[in-house]
Amino acid sequence: MSEPWNLATLSVGSEAPVLTHTLTRTDLVRYAGASGDYNPMHHDEPKALAAKQPSVFGHGMLSMGIVATALTHFIGVGTLETFSVRFARQTWPGETLSTKIVVSAIEGGLVSLDVRLVNDAGEEKVVGQATARLDA
Amino acid sequence: MDEATRTAFIGTEIGRTTVVVERSAVSFFAQAVLDDDPIYRDQREAEAKGFAGIPVPPTFPFVMQNWGAYGELQPAEGNGSGLAQVLGTLMAGGGLILHGEQAFTYHQPIVTGQTLTGVTVLRDIYVKESKAATMTFVVSETTWSDEAGTPMATATFNIIHRI
Repeated sequence: MSEPWNLATLSVGSEAPVLTHTLTRTDLVRYAGASGDYNPMHHDEPKALAAKQPSVFGHGMLSMGIVATALTHFIGVGTLETFSVRFARQTWPGETLSTKIVVSAIEGGLVSLDVRLVNDAGEEKVVGQATARLDA
Repeated sequence: MDEATRTAFIGTEIGRTTVVVERSAVSFFAQAVLDDDPIYRDQREAEAKGFAGIPVPPTFPFVMQNWGAYGELQPAEGNGSGLAQVLGTLMAGGGLILHGEQAFTYHQPIVTGQTLTGVTVLRDIYVKESKAATMTFVVSETTWSDEAGTPMATATFNIIHRI
């Protein structure tokens, strides 16, 4: 695993390496087990169809968790001060999701980042911000 | 939900859970959010980065109450189920619950082996009406603190009930 970026190598506009993943039903089952969230909309296809959904869909917190993975690979584990998102759209099995993380400001050691998770069509799934405290 | 019921809930403690942050739960969670960083699987990696135990992924505090909540650690008066009560009141008339927004503030690194207590307070309930739907927004905030009472992380959970 490559070392995280540091203050000296970051500037406004710096982009994190993109994490891309095509979502599977197995991903949803694994996240259900790991999180303890057994809402049937995320693993029970007949119940999702009965609720007028086209299929099961991903946990919002799985989307946020994937963004968090890309974030910590970029700025390091234990550096985040804040991380917030809005869940804009559901995610669906078969969709290819990509993280988009860009440095929006640097003040002292505090780095602000705009974060998004998008699909291949460019539709935003989660949109948010993070701040991280980095050593010089 | 009427105005009196709504305002009676705001500012009240609606849940309290004590957990041990468990190593197997953390490594399983890291795998589920596609994180292959060995720091979540190998104590030596965590120590090399200056952590006393294995650190937790950033969104782990959201699920922390589901792991290591040993019965003997829980308060005698019960864990509280205020959020379930609020959502139950809303869902009694049908509708759909959506996760609208989620925020975390990190105060100190959370690592495996710690015993943490999460206290959840209902911060707000408000209603937005449109032609298409009535949307009720429920905002709760959970602060996790260690045994000395030092805050470690705060999680803010925004739920939307749409009918």
